Amino acid sequence: MSVLRSIVASVRVGWYREFNWTNPLLGFSMRTVGPLAGVIAASSVYFVGSSAARSFSPSQLAFILIGAALYTHVAAYSWVPTLAIAEGKWTYVFPQVFISPHSSLPYLTGRTLASFFSSTLTVIVSLVLSFFILSSVFNTSIPFTVTPLSVTLLFFAMLVNILAAFGLGLLLSAYALFATKFEWALPTYVAGLLMVFSEALFPVSFLPHPVSDVANVLPFTEFMRASRQAMIQGGDVYSYFSYIGLATLGGVILLAMGFLAFRYAENRARRLGVIDKKTA
Amino acid sequence: MKLHSNPWLRTAYARLWVRAKSIYGEPLWVAVNVGFPFFTSFSFTMVYRAYGLGAYAGFAILGGVMISFWGNVLWSMASQFNWDKQVGLFEIYISSPAPITAILVGMSLGGILGTAPSAAMVAILGWVIFAPPIHPFWPAVVLVFSLTLASLYAMGMALSSLYLAYGREADSVNEALHEPVSLISGVYFPSVGGISPFPFAVQAAASLVPLTIGMDALRQSLGFPIKVAFIPLYIEALILALMALILLLASSRALRFLENKGRRTGSIAVRQR
Repeated sequence: MSVLRSIVASVRVGWYREFNWTNPLLGFSMRTVGPLAGVIAASSVYFVGSSAARSFSPSQLAFILIGAALYTHVAAYSWVPTLAIAEGKWTYVFPQVFISPHSSLPYLTGRTLASFFSSTLTVIVSLVLSFFILSSVFNTSIPFTVTPLSVTLLFFAMLVNILAAFGLGLLLSAYALFATKFEWALPTYVAGLLMVFSEALFPVSFLPHPVSDVANVLPFTEFMRASRQAMIQGGDVYSYFSYIGLATLGGVILLAMGFLAFRYAENRARRLGVIDKKTA
Repeated sequence: MKLHSNPWLRTAYARLWVRAKSIYGEPLWVAVNVGFPFFTSFSFTMVYRAYGLGAYAGFAILGGVMISFWGNVLWSMASQFNWDKQVGLFEIYISSPAPITAILVGMSLGGILGTAPSAAMVAILGWVIFAPPIHPFWPAVVLVFSLTLASLYAMGMALSSLYLAYGREADSVNEALHEPVSLISGVYFPSVGGISPFPFAVQAAASLVPLTIGMDALRQSLGFPIKVAFIPLYIEALILALMALILLLASSRALRFLENKGRRTGSIAVRQR
């Protein structure tokens, strides 16, 4: 129970960290503007290219729209554990969390969940707004399936993807415990890699071998595919659950790797005395 | 005129040196900074190629180059004085006889020098991997690129005074500004002109941002396959020069105003976190 209490408290800390610098509505709006602009930018790139080539297809636009929105969602919360450590070292929060017994993992879990909830909200708003804006600006009908079942399946896919995203977050955190200067830039690197290798904007089959083979089995790729099966017309439930199964399997493996790496790094960092180290 | 006899030049040089040294003193920063612009432009290039028009791949590579500078303007120019204030450095700037405009100009030039390696890497990797068709007129490219950077960094100087006034919101404002400005400026696709997907009103509003005009001018001077230009290249160059001048003057006045106000109210060194 104490672990659960720690996680709930950390979720609250995360929300305060994200929204308490201003009134919640302004904070939420400012967090939504970025993903919305990102989704419209990716869709505009597709529109400009495909219109000039006379190959515009609404279903491909839907493919990009879903991918761009969900990529920003994953990128937004998978780096939170790294941020919690890097920022926590400077604000002396993380050393305090660390010295209280068995708190670092529940703290990072809570911070990640807080960011997951807020970025889920921002991404849903971005998806809805970009759907209406792009339908109107591009003068097209985007073939989304919006039913209670499809939306539930999308949320379920998002929940499943927490495993992989948190696993990735823990792997980065293991590095952040030791890092003193490049940890701030690392998440943007990872976000860029996710954009290329998770089938966010284009099928991974366009990548050269063997890179495409690796990208093909990443849990993030399977998550994208499952979400598209749920939300784009023509998707089917069998494919959806196949992708979800693969996303879960990959997520569990990544989470286990992240957990082991973090535990090892934490023990080593304690021995070396670098938990509160801020400069090289 | 000798450098050491002019306090303005000495200050600008000193600030430039510190900023450039912070990058070149740790070469790994170049590899770190190149990540996001490269992967983003790689993704958009793949979108152009995958969905039909590889000839436009150059748009995305140019976007990756310019997004490096835009990121530097936001994170290392606009919000720099606010961070300097948090660590007590701004107080030293103000109490020293160093002209604040020299500090800003030095910071800009250092920022450009520091960002240049990662921007160049994005350009080189993009051109080597994708070889987009371009027909550049290099004197125009150099002129337009310099004017775009001048107006962009002048905008960063103007924003720095705004951030100084608003303080702790700076990080969130940066995060909120980065993507929308990239979008309306058409960093990865032409947001103005014949093939823009946006309505005229949005194009007109976007034209007020120096990056929009700069991107369009760069696309024209690099000879990308755009059939209908938004505005003739020489007019865009004039607009960029004018924008740089106006923003430079605006930033200088805004900072002087904030400095005077801060001195009167005694809040110039108050840390807001």
